[in-house]
Amino acid sequence: MTGAQILFLVCAGLILGSAVMVVTARNLMHAAFWLIAALFGVAVVYAILQAGFMAMIQVVIYIGAIAIMFIFADMLTRRDVRESRAQIGRNWPVAVLLGLLILAGLTALILAQPGVGRVAPALPSGLDPVAALGKALVSPDAYVLPFEVASVLLLSALVGAVYLAFLKKQ
Amino acid sequence: MLLSETAISPLFSLAPLIVFLPVLGLLLNIIFGGRMGEKAIGWLASVASGLTFVVSSLLAYGLWAAHGETVVVPFADWITIGSLHIPWNFRVDTLSVTMMLAVSGVGTLIHIYAIGYMHEDVRFKNDPKRFRRFFVFLNLFIAMMMILVSGDSYLMLFVGWEGVGLCSFLLIGFWYDMDTLGRPSWANSNAAKKAFITNRIGDFGFLLAALTMFWAFGSVQFGEVFGKAEEIAAAQPAVIIAITLFMLIGVTGKSAQIPLYVWLPDAMAGPTPVSALIHAATMVTAGVYLVARSWPLYTLAPDAQYIVAMVGAVTALFAATIAVGQYDIKKVLAYSTISQLGFMVAAVGMGAFVAGMFHLVTHAFFKALLFLSAGSVILGLERGHHHLAHHKGHEEHEGKHEEVFDPGDMRNMGGLRKRMPVTFWLYIIGTLALAGIFPFAGFWSKDEILLDAAKLHPEIFIILTTAAFFTAFYMGRQIWMVFFGEPRHEAAAHAEESPKIITVPLMVLAGLSVLGGALNLPGVHTLGHWLEHTIELAEHELHLPAWLEISWGGLNPVVALVSTLLALLAIYISWLIYGRKPLTAGQKDPLKKPLGFIFTGMENKWFVDEGYWAVFVNRYVDIARFLADVVDWRFWHDWFHDKVIAGTYVWLSHIALNRYADQKGIDAFFNGLGDLTKRLSAFLRRLQNGFVRSYALAVMLGVIVIVGYLLMK
Amino acid sequence: MTPSDLLSILPLLVLVVWACALLLVDLWLKRKGVTAFLAALGLALTAGLALAQAGEETTAFGGMVALDGFASFLNVLFPLSGLLGIAVAYGYLKRMNIERGEYYSLLLFSTAGMMLMAHAADLVVVFLALEFLSLPLYVLAAFARPRLDSEEAGLKYFLLGAFASAFVIYGIALIYGATGTTSLSGIVAAIEAGSLGTSGLLLTIGAALFLVGFGFKVAAVPFHMWTPDVYHGAPTPVTAFMAVGAKAAGFAALLRVFVTAFPALDADLTPVVWVLAALTMFVGNVVAIAQTNIKRMLAYSSIAHAGYILMAFVAFGNPATRADAVASALFYLVTYALTSYGAWAAVIALEKQDPSAGSGQAASGLEINDFAGLGRRRPALAAAMTVFMLSLTGMPPTLGLVGKFYLFRTVIEAGQVWLAVIGVLTSLISAYYYLRVVVVMYMREGAPETTREPWLDFTWAVSALATVILSFLPMALFAWASAAGVMGF
Repeated sequence: MTGAQILFLVCAGLILGSAVMVVTARNLMHAAFWLIAALFGVAVVYAILQAGFMAMIQVVIYIGAIAIMFIFADMLTRRDVRESRAQIGRNWPVAVLLGLLILAGLTALILAQPGVGRVAPALPSGLDPVAALGKALVSPDAYVLPFEVASVLLLSALVGAVYLAFLKKQ
Repeated sequence: MLLSETAISPLFSLAPLIVFLPVLGLLLNIIFGGRMGEKAIGWLASVASGLTFVVSSLLAYGLWAAHGETVVVPFADWITIGSLHIPWNFRVDTLSVTMMLAVSGVGTLIHIYAIGYMHEDVRFKNDPKRFRRFFVFLNLFIAMMMILVSGDSYLMLFVGWEGVGLCSFLLIGFWYDMDTLGRPSWANSNAAKKAFITNRIGDFGFLLAALTMFWAFGSVQFGEVFGKAEEIAAAQPAVIIAITLFMLIGVTGKSAQIPLYVWLPDAMAGPTPVSALIHAATMVTAGVYLVARSWPLYTLAPDAQYIVAMVGAVTALFAATIAVGQYDIKKVLAYSTISQLGFMVAAVGMGAFVAGMFHLVTHAFFKALLFLSAGSVILGLERGHHHLAHHKGHEEHEGKHEEVFDPGDMRNMGGLRKRMPVTFWLYIIGTLALAGIFPFAGFWSKDEILLDAAKLHPEIFIILTTAAFFTAFYMGRQIWMVFFGEPRHEAAAHAEESPKIITVPLMVLAGLSVLGGALNLPGVHTLGHWLEHTIELAEHELHLPAWLEISWGGLNPVVALVSTLLALLAIYISWLIYGRKPLTAGQKDPLKKPLGFIFTGMENKWFVDEGYWAVFVNRYVDIARFLADVVDWRFWHDWFHDKVIAGTYVWLSHIALNRYADQKGIDAFFNGLGDLTKRLSAFLRRLQNGFVRSYALAVMLGVIVIVGYLLMK
Repeated sequence: MTPSDLLSILPLLVLVVWACALLLVDLWLKRKGVTAFLAALGLALTAGLALAQAGEETTAFGGMVALDGFASFLNVLFPLSGLLGIAVAYGYLKRMNIERGEYYSLLLFSTAGMMLMAHAADLVVVFLALEFLSLPLYVLAAFARPRLDSEEAGLKYFLLGAFASAFVIYGIALIYGATGTTSLSGIVAAIEAGSLGTSGLLLTIGAALFLVGFGFKVAAVPFHMWTPDVYHGAPTPVTAFMAVGAKAAGFAALLRVFVTAFPALDADLTPVVWVLAALTMFVGNVVAIAQTNIKRMLAYSSIAHAGYILMAFVAFGNPATRADAVASALFYLVTYALTSYGAWAAVIALEKQDPSAGSGQAASGLEINDFAGLGRRRPALAAAMTVFMLSLTGMPPTLGLVGKFYLFRTVIEAGQVWLAVIGVLTSLISAYYYLRVVVVMYMREGAPETTREPWLDFTWAVSALATVILSFLPMALFAWASAAGVMGF
C-alpha cells in the first residue's frame, strides 16, 4: 500500500463521512460546514491525482464561492426558514438500502476492471498540465466551444437567478 | 290441298285487309272518337266492317275464279326459334271464305243496328260516354274473328280464338258496374268473368290438342298436319284420338256444349247486339268451324267423331228443354242457340260437314234476326216505361222510377203485335225459320242434318228430332206470350216501335232468313260443292232402309215431312197452352202445375249451375281458402314465420347473443378491462405523492434495475 | 478558428448573440411586446439560416460539433418551436402579470441549447448542451413567482434535473474510462478496434447511465415522476415549450449518441429500452385516465408519447432499421410538436387568473370539466381541440396516425412485434381520456370563459390546419425526415 493509497482512503472516508453528515445534520449551518469538509476532501483527491489546478479550482470555486454562498443564503433567510421537523423522510431505510446496492454494484463493476489497483503512471516530463489545460480550453480544435457555451450558460443562470430572487417593490 | 301462288290473282293480296280494316276502324275511333258524334262513330265502325265484307266477297270471287283452289297468302314471320317456324299466313279457301262472308256480312248489319240500339241504351243506362267504347270493341271482335277463320295454322287460329274470347268478355261486361236492369251491381262483371273462365277451360283443351299435335306432327300448320295425318294415324292412332278429343273440350267451351255451355245464358247480360253477333251468329260457331277445319283428323278417328256427335245431340235436346221454362226473352233465345249449336256440332260430328256449315250460315241469319228483334222489343218496352214515368208527374216520378222493371221479362209483355207490328212480323219470320218450317232457310239446313243423322246414326236422328219438336214448342210459346194477348204491364201497353235504323237491318236479315235456303238446296248443293274444294266428304257404304233411299232431287220426303209435321204439332200445342187463353198479369206459367217438378227443372236450368257451384266452384274456393288461411296465414305466417323463424331469430339475437354473448360475455369482459384500467390508474396515480425525494428514489430504483440487469448478463 | 467552423454553427451563433443583445436592448424597452417581437425575429432569422444550411455535412471544432441532415432538421424545428412558444406566451404573460423581458431571452437561450444538442458530436458538448437548455427551463418553470405551484415546479425540476445530470456525467465518465475519449467518433473507433476487453461492461453501464439521465429528460418511466408536477405548476406557455423542445432535444441526444456511438451495444441495451418503452407507454396512458386537471392529463400524455418514440428507438441497433428509427422518431417529433402546441394553446385560452385567490394561488379554469360547453361557445377552438385530441390518439385521418404508423412500422421491421402490440393497445387506452375532452366540450352544458388573443388563436388555428393538411400531404416531411435519418457521420 503506497502512501498515496493510504491518503486516498483517509480522504475517501472524510468525504463520505462529511457527505453523510451534510445530509443528516439538523442545523443547516452545520450541514454547510460539513459540505465544505467534503469538498475539501475532493480537492485533496484531485491533488493526489496530480491535477493541482483542479484542486485549486475546487477550493476557490466550490468552497470559496459556492459553499460560502450557501452560508450566506442560510444567514439571510434564517428567520423565514426554520425547520423544526425531522429532516429525514420515512423511507430512509429503503433509500439507504438502494444506495448500498448501487455502491455494491458499482464497486463490483470497477473491481472487475483490469486497471484497478494499478499505480497511476507518472505524467510525461515537460508536460505542464495547467498550460495544457489552458491551451485546450481556448483551442478551436479542443474545448473552446464548450468553454464559450459554458459562459453563456452561466449568463443565463445568472439572469434567471436575478429574476427569481428579485422582488419588485409593490 | 295445293298451295297456290298469290300471283294467280292479285285479289288474294287483299287478304290481310280483312283483319286490318277493322283494326283501322277501331284505331280511328280511339284516336278521333272523342271529337266525332255518335253517328260518326257508329258509321265508321260499320263501314270498316262493311269494307271487310267487300274484301271477303272479292276473295270469294277470286277463289271462284280459281276454281276453289286453296290459296295461302303469306303475311309475316311470327315465330322462328330453331326448328320451330310459325308464320302468319292468310289461308283463303272455300271454308274460310264462307266463314269470312258470314261473319263480316252479318256483322256489318249488326253494326248498323247497334248505332240505333246503343244510342237508346246508353241513355237508358245514363252513360252516353260509353258509346264509343262499344264500337271499338265490336271492330276488335271482327278483326279477331277474321284472324280465327283465316289462320293457316292451329296457332293462328288459337290467337283468334283467344281474341274473340277477350272481346266476348269485354262486351258481356260492357255495363260492368250494373246488372241488366241498370242497378249498381257486380252481376254483369260476374257474367263476363264466368264466360271467360269457362272458356279458359275449353282453351286448355285446345292447347293440349295443339301441343299434342306439335309433338306428334312437329308442326301446327294445316297443310303439314293434314298431309301427315294418315301416316300418323296408322302409326299412332291414339294420338289422333287424343287430339280430336282435346279439341272437343275446346269446342264445348267456345260453342257452348255440354258441359261448358253454362256461360252462354249469363252472357245475355251484354247489350243485345253483342248477344246477336257474338253469341249467336259468329263466335259460338268457331267451334263448329274448328271441327270442320280439322275434318282430316276427325275422319281418321271415327270413335272420337261419334263422341262429338253425341255431345252435340244431347246438348241440343237438353238445352231445348230448358228453353221451355225460361221467362226472359233473351234467355229463351240463348238456350235456343245452345240447342242449335248442338245440331251443328252433331252434324260435323257425324261427318256431315256441309250440313253443319249450312246450318251455321242459316242459323246466323235467323238467330241474329231473332236476337235483334228481341232487342227491338226490349227497347220498345223501355221506351214505354220511360214515357210512363214522364206522364205520371213529378211526385210519383221520384219514387216510381226506382221500381225494378225488367223490360226483357216476357211476363211483362203481351199484345205487342199491335204496338210494334214491324218487329212482330220480323220475329215471326225468324221463328218460322228457326222452327224449320218450309220454305224458310232453317227448314233446308235442319232437314239436311236430320237426313244425314237418319242415314248415319239413327239414335242421333231421334234425339235431334225430339229437340226440333221442343224448338218449335218454345218458340211458339214465346210468340204467344210476347205478341198476343193483352199487355200485362203498363210499359207494354205504351210500347213503341223502333226506328228505321233498327228495323231496316232486320229486314235484310229477314230476307236472308227466307231465301237463305237457296244456298244449298238439295240436289243443287251449291254450298256443298263450294265446300268440297276444301273438305273431302267421306263416301259411306250404307245400308239404308227403303224410306230413306227415296230422293226427290236430293230431298227425302219422309224426313222432311216428319220434321215439318212435328214442328207444326208443336206450334199447335203451344197455341193450345199459351195462345188460346193468353196469360194475364201475375199468372203462373200454365205448364207449371201439370209438369210439376219437371217444369221446375226446366225453369231452373236443371240446376246445373248450382251443381257446378257445389261440386267445383265452392270446393275450389274452399281449397283456396284453406291454403290461404290455414296453410299460408296460420301455419306459414303465424306459426312458422313468426314463431319458428322470427322467434328463433329473436331468441338468438336477444337472448343468446345480446344477453349472454354480448352483455354477459363481451360487455362484461371489456367493461371489466376498462374498470381494471381505471383502478390501475387510480392506484398508480397515488404513487405521485409530490415529494421530490420519492421521485429521486424512483430514479434510483430504475438505475438499480438497469445496472443490475446489465451486470447480471 | 476557421471560418468554416463558425459557419457550421452559424444559426446557433446568431441566436446566442441575438439573445445576449436582446438582454441589453430589453433594458430600454418599456413595452415588452417589442421584446417578444425581437425575439421572434431572431428565431425566424435562425430558422432561415438553418434552412439555408440544410444539406451540408461537416464536422467542426475538432469534431466537437457536426452539421448534417439530422442537425439541420432539428435546427429548423427548434427555432420554429421557439416561435410558437413566444406566440402562446405573448398574451399570457401580460394576462398573468408576469411579463418580463427576461422570459424571451431565457427562451432564446434554451432554444440555443437545444440547437447545440442537435449539433453535438462529443459527449462533453452533449452534457453542456443539456445543461444549457435545462437551466433556463428551470427558471422559466418558476417564472410565475410568487405563485406557489410555479415555484414548486421550478424547484422540483431543478433538483431532479440536477440529480439526473449527475447520472449523465457519471455515465460519461465511465464511458471515458472505457474508451479513453469523449468524442463520439472516437468511441466508435475504440469499440471497433475491439480494444475494450472487460472495459466493455464499463462502457455498457456508462451507456445505461447516460440513458437513465436522458430518460429523465424525455420523461421515460420510472424517471418521469417530475413531469406531472412540473408541467402542472409551470406557466402554461413554458409547459408547452418544455413539452416540445426539451423532449425533442433529449431525443436528439439519445438518437445521436446511441445510433452513432453505441450500436454495438444494442444486444445489451435493446431489452432495457424495450422495457422502458413499454412501461412508459403503459404508465403514461393508464395514469392519464385518472386525471381531472387538463395540464396533468396532457403531462401524462406527453409521457406516453415519449414512450411511443422510445419504441422506435428500440430499432437503433440494427443497421437496416437504424435510419428508419431516426426518421420515424423525427417525423413523430414534428407531429407531436404541432399537436402539442395546439393543445396547450387551447388550454391557455381557457386558463384564467382566479380573482378571489391571492397571488399565491394557482390559476384556475384548468380542470377538464371547465371545457364543458366549449363546443357551443367557441366552435372553432373546440374543433381545433378535437383535431388535436384525435391526432394525439392516432385516429385517422390526422397527422398523429401517420406518425404512429411510421413508428409502428419501424418497430415491426425491427422484429419487435409485441412492443408494437403494446403500443397499439395503449393507444387504444389513450382514446378514452383524449375523447373525454371532446365529449365534455360538445356534450356537456357549460359557459367557459376564454380569452381571445390574436397570436394564441393563430397558434392553435395554424396547428390544427397543419395537422390536418399534413396528414394528407406528409410526403415532403417524410422525405426530409428520412434524409435526416441517415446521420452524416
